[in-house]
Amino acid sequence: MSATGVSIDVTRELRAICGEEYVSEETAGTPVVKPGSAEEVATVLQFANMHGLGVVPEGGMTAQSFAAQASIVLQTSRLAQVEHYDHADLTVGVGAGTTVAQLNAMVGADHLLFACDPLLPERATVGGILASASHGPLRHGYGALRDFCIGIRFVTGEGRRAKGGGRVVKNVAGYDLMKLLIGSYGTLGVITSASFKLFPAPRQTRTFLAEFKTAKEALEFRDRVVRSPLAPICLELVSPIARKMMRPEMASDAWVICVRAAGSDAVLARYRKELGMAINREVAGESEVTMWRAIENFPYSAGDGTTARAGENLMRRIHITVPPRDLLAVIEVMNRVMPSLQIDFGCIGHVGIGHLQFVAQQFNHVGTGITSGLTDALRSEVGDKATVKMDGAANPWPITPANLASMRAVKQALDPNNVLRGREIS
Amino acid sequence: MRISAVVEQLRKIAGRDAVLDRPEDLMLYEYDAGVRKRTPAAVVFPQNTEHVSQIMKLASSAGFPVVARGAGTGLSGGSISPEGGVVIAFARMNRILEVDAENMRAVVQPGVVNQTLSDNVAHLGLYFAPDPSSQKACTIGGNVAENSGGPHTLASGVTVNHVTGMTVVMPSGEVVRLGGKAAESNGYDLTGFFVGSEGTVGVVTEIIVKLLRRPERVATLLAIFETIDDGARTVSAITAAGITPAALEMLDGWTLRAVEAACHAGYPLDAGAVLLIELEGLAEQVEEQAEAVREVCVQQRAREVRRAKDETERALLWKGRKNAFAALGRLAPSYYSQDGVVPRTRIPAVLEFIGGVAKKYGLRIGNIFHAGDGNLHPLILFDPRDPKQLELVQQAGRDILEYCVSVGGSITGEHGVGLEKRDLMPLLFTDEDLDVMLSLRNAFNAAGVLNPGKLFPTTRVCAETRGASLNPVLQAEGM
Repeated sequence: MSATGVSIDVTRELRAICGEEYVSEETAGTPVVKPGSAEEVATVLQFANMHGLGVVPEGGMTAQSFAAQASIVLQTSRLAQVEHYDHADLTVGVGAGTTVAQLNAMVGADHLLFACDPLLPERATVGGILASASHGPLRHGYGALRDFCIGIRFVTGEGRRAKGGGRVVKNVAGYDLMKLLIGSYGTLGVITSASFKLFPAPRQTRTFLAEFKTAKEALEFRDRVVRSPLAPICLELVSPIARKMMRPEMASDAWVICVRAAGSDAVLARYRKELGMAINREVAGESEVTMWRAIENFPYSAGDGTTARAGENLMRRIHITVPPRDLLAVIEVMNRVMPSLQIDFGCIGHVGIGHLQFVAQQFNHVGTGITSGLTDALRSEVGDKATVKMDGAANPWPITPANLASMRAVKQALDPNNVLRGREIS
Repeated sequence: MRISAVVEQLRKIAGRDAVLDRPEDLMLYEYDAGVRKRTPAAVVFPQNTEHVSQIMKLASSAGFPVVARGAGTGLSGGSISPEGGVVIAFARMNRILEVDAENMRAVVQPGVVNQTLSDNVAHLGLYFAPDPSSQKACTIGGNVAENSGGPHTLASGVTVNHVTGMTVVMPSGEVVRLGGKAAESNGYDLTGFFVGSEGTVGVVTEIIVKLLRRPERVATLLAIFETIDDGARTVSAITAAGITPAALEMLDGWTLRAVEAACHAGYPLDAGAVLLIELEGLAEQVEEQAEAVREVCVQQRAREVRRAKDETERALLWKGRKNAFAALGRLAPSYYSQDGVVPRTRIPAVLEFIGGVAKKYGLRIGNIFHAGDGNLHPLILFDPRDPKQLELVQQAGRDILEYCVSVGGSITGEHGVGLEKRDLMPLLFTDEDLDVMLSLRNAFNAAGVLNPGKLFPTTRVCAETRGASLNPVLQAEGM
């Protein structure tokens, strides 16, 4: 039964659009459709608009939770074509269903780097990381997706096909629709493909680890690195509990700053000289790769996220980004609020740019009370300077965005019937 | 409302000395650095966000169009007034409101001159990265509206990569704050969307920008080639070697002789082309890269690779590049600069194509451009007093842009669409693409009060407004 009161067989209609074999009812009786082209995505959304049905776009399900309000789940896995790739131009365009691991394997063969290293790259899709504005430790040295996504194609909630940008690294023709779609969590449109600027892959890297008794000392070291002439590709903080979550055998209670450098032997020697006595350990080769994979995949460092069954939500992650000066205040708020709720949390973050990520096993069981307690405490401590994003939850923005009216105007323009209602703009 | 009444109201808002309406004053605001002009009905100089808010309320209720204007250095007609329009000029909102060195941010008013910001934070070892050639004159508000670039955007990105927040006045007069000092936005990235929207969705009155740390070492190389083709091939050879220079500029032989005559930058007079290559960063890294770049250039048959010995030599090399447009002004009464983009591997082919276009139309076309990111600036010399020449020049420009698009490129890399290229938008975008963009414009600026007639092809806007009551704003859309 559709919202308009007309009885329709949604599954049958979807099969007529996308083909018999690409529609199933595997998720709690909700039809799951896998369109094979942007045209099919548009037809599905037009059909949903006509009948007032809710659609939830789905990539690798690493950033969102399974939404209850969906009448149709739209999986992007078949949108995995390569639209353009010329390694000499350092650009690539791929379908939204391409996984980050697939993309990296392709460009890595030409010694190039897709500079976004999100959680669970074997599952995370290009469309999904764009929709959730995901990032990993490389965010420090290479910028965010908003900095190197050069073109995007999508279907608006209303079912209109649109594009922004193009295939070249510099382009200001028309509105920058990439910015609008990146981080919109599937509330404005379904991303069908995107183009990116690539980077030359570093020929040699080395990671320098510095351990500190307190977060304050660790952040003071962060400041020293940022003020130095060094330009590391990653600058990551790992809290004692996060470290234990990654490596249960680690009993140390140190806060660690991980500085990853790329360059020749002479460049690495300069890092040693500048960082000096603060360095406890240097990591290279296979163990360096393993270490960064553990940080990227936190809290699924042991790899259990890749085997999590379909239909199971991942653990919630709270991302807090502040002007770097306020990093310590955020950690102090968390230290104060979380124990009062009897919650242990692990914290990592690209502290060079002012980012922290908090994870606690218990988040999934205590409901929304904890997040409101947390956001209230944050607001009183760092005012409106903190931006908070929650992955794996129904509402990605636990602090109501200040520009809600403008957001609603955009939503109304692209999805007037609120078909993409998996995440409410409340 | 009659224009005299509008002027009276504007004076009440911004002050008696803050409005121009005499024809001889208005003439100064009828043009930008491109080739089009139109005299506005009035110019108003707000001094704060509240003034802008009141001006927008007046414009919306009285139904006259407005356009925001920085220094008027744009090349696409973005700040040219619509018919019967009022220019909001930001010359009096030119203060740096805050420098937050610890968080590497500055809060500025839109009228702050680009270079002034870098000058003001130099003592902290910081700078503002976007560096249009007009940076001594252009304003940060204008940079935001057009999403401006410059030579050093190859490594550090265009304006949008350096803006984290802004205060915007909507057509209704409502004041909205987007983003902030943090590196990520809460909710949609409307800051990113507003940058480069060419003044069509809101008027920016405060901007939060990133500041970068000055590099420890800078190496500036001048690679000299016998032929333009050798120079062009070297561009992708450098990136293929895994090096991303901070800047990678190209001048063809004809242009560099013209520049040398005007600027005495020390460019060789008998070369086919030169590449101006800048490397920045850690001393060890810059030295290695400089050596690697030199090797690539020599492999690609460079006749000579020079390196600036000191800051004076470096400044001289850049002076030639940044004043090139002006230098060409010595050779013809006017020039028309295009801004197409091609994938960088297509640079040799596009330069050959441009040579063919010059022959076909009997025009002089110089090439001086951001080679590293494939952003061309063919400069077509002409005499504007000859209407036939202007027509040929525009046709030649169109041919070049059509070629750029046909090889996967774009019609504009950093100058914006504005008036100049609005009717070329269908080369890149389908009707449906443009309809989606138009519905976003209408989400904020439905009545077309803000900068009507820009960015969208005339045909689309007419379709959108057909049947609406005809007020001056809507009439201006079809200008």
